[in-house]
Amino acid sequence: MDVFEAIKGRRSVRRYKPDAVPKELIEKILDAARWAPSGGNIQPWKFIVVSDKHLLEMVRKVSPGYLGEATLGILVCSDKEKAYRIGGVLGRDYLSVADCAMAVENMLLAAYALGLGTCVVKSFSRIAVKEILEIPEGIEPELLVILGYPAQTPTPPSRIPLKEIAYLNKYGQNFPTSLEE
Amino acid sequence: MKNLSVKKPTGNEYLFEIAVFLATSARGCIDEPPLYGPFRLLDALSKLAELPEYATSLKPDPFLKEIKAIVDEKKFLVMYDVEGFKRAIDEIVEKFAKELKRRSLERK
Repeated sequence: MDVFEAIKGRRSVRRYKPDAVPKELIEKILDAARWAPSGGNIQPWKFIVVSDKHLLEMVRKVSPGYLGEATLGILVCSDKEKAYRIGGVLGRDYLSVADCAMAVENMLLAAYALGLGTCVVKSFSRIAVKEILEIPEGIEPELLVILGYPAQTPTPPSRIPLKEIAYLNKYGQNFPTSLEE
Repeated sequence: MKNLSVKKPTGNEYLFEIAVFLATSARGCIDEPPLYGPFRLLDALSKLAELPEYATSLKPDPFLKEIKAIVDEKKFLVMYDVEGFKRAIDEIVEKFAKELKRRSLERK
């Protein structure tokens, strides 16, 4: 699949079929994640694949943003101690979050190319999730990606026109574009 | 609310689940975008409306069932059409007001 097709076709899916996601696909998605850019090559990410029904159900219950019945969840965490050790305050407070976000985008695009739907959830209780998944101190849950076979194709949301967000050379200077809104 | 586990929850289990949702939502609402507040409340309404399905001592409430269907259909407007989301809540509140009047008259 062409990368632009994946970027423009991906949606946040909130209705899923009950079919389980095969392990081979999960591996491909994780492999895509670990090839994301990483500031200072710290690679602070840790991925907790939650496929156990009861655990996933518990995670869902403490995650108000977990909408739909996705059969799989991947919690993307950052290793704050490692990020600080290698990257200092910048590494711990900024790069680790940005790295995880970039890894998540890779996951979303890979999943879409594999025929899966995804939704990124930040609205979860970090305290409760840490307790349920036995996450140690120093490891911070950043984003929860829920995945499954989509049971809907959501309507594309609107996007701010390029001319309102892109500038040429200096802030505020018009960026000429032929792209339609 | 569909449950991922195979076993259908009891009324008490379902009530507990709603309580967990409310507690975690309360914490989330402190830091999340302000519009997530009404969204969570609507989601909670949707979950509460389903309670009679699990707590069999409660009588099914056709009005709440109807409201739940509307909420589930409209709640995602918050993601892409804020004005539409507001209108949907207004419509829901109007339905509640009418139903409140009807029930009030019925009790007289």
